[in-house]
Amino acid sequence: MNYELKKYYLQTILAIVLTFAAIASVSAQNPKSPQPSLGEESPDSVRQLYEVTVTSKQPMRTIATSQTMSGADLQALSTTSVADALKYFAGVQIKDYGGLGGLKTINVRSLGAQHVGVYVDGIRITNAQNGTVDLGKFSLTSMESVSLYNANKLDYCQSASEYASGATVYLQTRRPTHDSLSVQLRNASFHTWMAKANGQFNWRGWQGFIDGEYCSSRGDYPFRYHSEYEDTIGRRANSDIRYGRIEGALFRGGFSSHIYYYDSERGCPGGIVRRLSDKYTNVGREWDRDFFVQASYQERFFKKVLFKVNSKYTNEYLRYCTKYPENQNTARVDNHYRQQDVYGALCAAYMPWNWLSLSSSYDARYSILRADLKRFEDVKRVDQKLVFAAQVNWHNIQAAASVLHQRYSDWTFANTGAADPLDRWTPAVSLAYTFYDITLRGWYKEIFRAPTLNDLYYTQVGNRNLKPEETKQWNVGIEYSNVKWSMFNGQCSMNIQADAYINKIENRIVCLPLKGTYTWSMMNYGYTFCRGLNATIKGHYQTGPWKFSLLNSITWQHDVDRTDPEDEDMYDKPICYSPTFSTGVTAIAGWRTLQFTTSYLYVGERMWSKADPEDILEPYHNIDMKLSYTHNIKKTSLGLCLEVCDVLDIQYEHLPRYPMPGRNYKLTLSFGI
Amino acid sequence: MRRLLIILSFIICHLSFSVAQEKIILLNEGMWQADNGRITYFENGQVVSNQWFRDRNGYKLGDTPNDIIQVNENLIAIAINWSNIVQFITPDGRAVAATEDIPNNRRLCSDGQYVYVTSYGHECLTTSGYRYFTKGFVAKIDLRNFQTVAVCEVGYEPEGIALYKGRLFIANTGGYAEQEYDHNFETTVSIVNAATMQLERNIDTYVPNLYGEMSQSGRYLCINSPGDYYEVPPCGLIFDCEKALAGSDCFVKFNYPVTYNTTTLDGKFLAIGSAFSYITGGYQFSYLTIDPRVMIETRGQSGLSQTLPGTLKTDFANMSQPYGIYLNPYTGYIYGTDAGSFEGAGFLYQWSPAGQFLGKHKVYINPGHFLAIPPDGYWSSLTEIKNEKLNIKSDVIYDLQGRRLPSLPKGGRNIYIVNGKKMFNKQ
Repeated sequence: MNYELKKYYLQTILAIVLTFAAIASVSAQNPKSPQPSLGEESPDSVRQLYEVTVTSKQPMRTIATSQTMSGADLQALSTTSVADALKYFAGVQIKDYGGLGGLKTINVRSLGAQHVGVYVDGIRITNAQNGTVDLGKFSLTSMESVSLYNANKLDYCQSASEYASGATVYLQTRRPTHDSLSVQLRNASFHTWMAKANGQFNWRGWQGFIDGEYCSSRGDYPFRYHSEYEDTIGRRANSDIRYGRIEGALFRGGFSSHIYYYDSERGCPGGIVRRLSDKYTNVGREWDRDFFVQASYQERFFKKVLFKVNSKYTNEYLRYCTKYPENQNTARVDNHYRQQDVYGALCAAYMPWNWLSLSSSYDARYSILRADLKRFEDVKRVDQKLVFAAQVNWHNIQAAASVLHQRYSDWTFANTGAADPLDRWTPAVSLAYTFYDITLRGWYKEIFRAPTLNDLYYTQVGNRNLKPEETKQWNVGIEYSNVKWSMFNGQCSMNIQADAYINKIENRIVCLPLKGTYTWSMMNYGYTFCRGLNATIKGHYQTGPWKFSLLNSITWQHDVDRTDPEDEDMYDKPICYSPTFSTGVTAIAGWRTLQFTTSYLYVGERMWSKADPEDILEPYHNIDMKLSYTHNIKKTSLGLCLEVCDVLDIQYEHLPRYPMPGRNYKLTLSFGI
Repeated sequence: MRRLLIILSFIICHLSFSVAQEKIILLNEGMWQADNGRITYFENGQVVSNQWFRDRNGYKLGDTPNDIIQVNENLIAIAINWSNIVQFITPDGRAVAATEDIPNNRRLCSDGQYVYVTSYGHECLTTSGYRYFTKGFVAKIDLRNFQTVAVCEVGYEPEGIALYKGRLFIANTGGYAEQEYDHNFETTVSIVNAATMQLERNIDTYVPNLYGEMSQSGRYLCINSPGDYYEVPPCGLIFDCEKALAGSDCFVKFNYPVTYNTTTLDGKFLAIGSAFSYITGGYQFSYLTIDPRVMIETRGQSGLSQTLPGTLKTDFANMSQPYGIYLNPYTGYIYGTDAGSFEGAGFLYQWSPAGQFLGKHKVYINPGHFLAIPPDGYWSSLTEIKNEKLNIKSDVIYDLQGRRLPSLPKGGRNIYIVNGKKMFNKQ
């Protein structure tokens, strides 16, 4: 460790210690200051632990622009992974290479997938290698809620990492309330089989679960391209997947922990291009083994101080192989990538008065990436973050401000050398005013994404001179929330919110072919400007055994290239893959244990290149339906569920020449005690 | 009045025919795996179509077209790399045949009866069954049936290919060396007998990765080496096929890359070099005019100047991403392409033979490979001359691939461009 880094560590630790000392002394001087209102806090017990769940109602919550899908609504969706649920959120664009095994990433308000942080129980899922998280690897069955926050979530005690992305997705695991055991068996189109088991307990204040899943699919769905210039019919090749996932969690009060293992093998299908026969297809295969274990503990001291510790260890392995005799089209490689990651965070919040909260957090992450690529040497990265944040909740005014310091230092023996350390401060401010049930809010956030280890060091692609990709976001919004009233002997509730926003992205990190060498390199290129409107409406109605829900999200967005004012063909023209309009509607009707869900998604026309007005992805309508019934006999339950996805059989694309599967069916049988 | 109109019509017709007819077919590579390779057809200062193949045939060309050549009077061949197709079209754009027997095809050359294709692949379906290779290979397609009649294994990842005196000269790259562990970059030019398809010799140039355009001017080849993008810097080579066949020292190395190059009417090479290093993360451009004869004779002491005709140098320097240079072997007009941002449309630039900028035209994504069609516009209007009647200066004879020839070859029944006119050698 070099001297600079040691010095930085010492300075940071000293800053934290001083902050704590100051907090403690102020706390001692104000012994009778009022109790802050914090979630479901009990003033009688100093041992009370304050779990922060995304579904809880906190006074500060409406200051942040957020969308949450939880509980019954979440389980009612016709989904298999987190990515499927997020596509119904406003401002979200999904990139999906098709099929069950295709990589699924999300892009929020056109910031780019690498600006979206994904958090499981408040701890970020990291991938120092490419910076994106494949949301297809996370199941919804163990989730209590899925939430999307634009800018910051704004809890009282947050880790610095939670401030460090342009948008954040929170996956909150469910804390079991009773003992249970359930198994599921599913058969689906394209030779897909899935088995799942879940066991959970709640014993003397301890809650926990173990959830396991195995799935195998050939993914050989038929596709057709029918246009003026072609009529191509085929079956998707090399699109199979087999995966197993086992995870467990243990909770007690303010303690939560999670252990996760995922193992998969999949084919990597290519784009559908003109071929004279099926003689040559993509043959590349990929193996993933992801493991993480994480723990978090939160405690309250002196009634005014909240303290949280997060820790995590991640071990990821990826193998990519094209070394097959059938491979005639690319280099024959068999590469292995191993990444390990150790993460720790200390967070503290101090509330001297019930209207003010001050907090600070220091996060450190050590990552090491090994790969047997030619010319590649191990890369080590230390990523440190420090945040100071303040929140005010005074009468009807809510305000929050934070400054985040990030420092990235890399080490490698690669002959290109390590990138220079990256050292930046970035601010964020939010302001809201509430009257009756209406909140008006506005916020501004500046954040960057550091170049990933792929971007910087991969052989024949990496560019160690990359600058970070910087974003600036402005948002104003209105939220009408928690309205409840009685109607026809039933209870109605509603939440409506609308936000207008502007995003600017500078120094976009893109992979471009180099001038004249026919090799590729990562480059900082481009500046985009995005204006948009997001709106969501949620309504619930319950009367007797009947339950109805209606969830609607609307996105209008104008996302343009502002790179080169002299380039008439590109300047102020729409960004590729960004639709101007998209909307999602989910309607759920339930009667006792019978439930019917219809989800509708419309995504408008998108350009996929700027070269020709013909280079567009057609707008599409997607309708999914799900009918489920559970029969309870004493403590046992038997369930049957039929899902029809893409009812209209519109074979849309997220990427050109990567067709999605079209209409498909899933039949699930479940048994629980 | 009527007489006046007739005279006026005559003058207009005369004027229009006296203007050189520029007819260029341009391959736009498109984006990888997006199936959007396209052909631009450019005539007399305007883009006629940016989807010429589709217009003519009603279907798409394929993914990543990588090379285009004139084969003979009636045929043009296109190597469509990611589609694994060698596509044959007539000069008016109609598809006549296609073969996928040669996967991962790269570059083409032809003697009018056979098409020779380099390939990075390791298998090839021939008339005598499948053939398998450890390294790359050259395939020979018979134009009578569009089948592969012979193959020859050369170096790893062979790229540029040229024909001289019945021998194929193949620049090997070993381009997968940065990813594959079983070999390094190649440094050799392979010489293959085109008739027997037997490897005769490998000539070591001692520079790695002979990748990029490879123009031919008679006996001379202009070969690029981008280096290994790390420690070994890029360079250029002038290769003398005649000397190579004679077994003497046959190439001269100079310290500028010649990434994109073309042959001029007077037998020189115009080249744009792009030198990149992953260590520095930067690149440098060079703009060269090379006289290969002088270069070989003086062992590289002279014959190279850092100039281009007219405004070419400035115009190329102002491009976002230069992607190709080409000189129309019939008329001397010069063309260049700019790939722009690679996400949007590229541009075709046109200059007069003296290098005067004439215009910039929007084409499609990654425009990089050119072919000029003879200016008279009538493919049947051949001038038949017997060899013995010819008394032509040696520097104005080209084959249909636009390569300058030292003299009209004896034997064979091929078409050549002599003083800007097509001629059919019947002898």
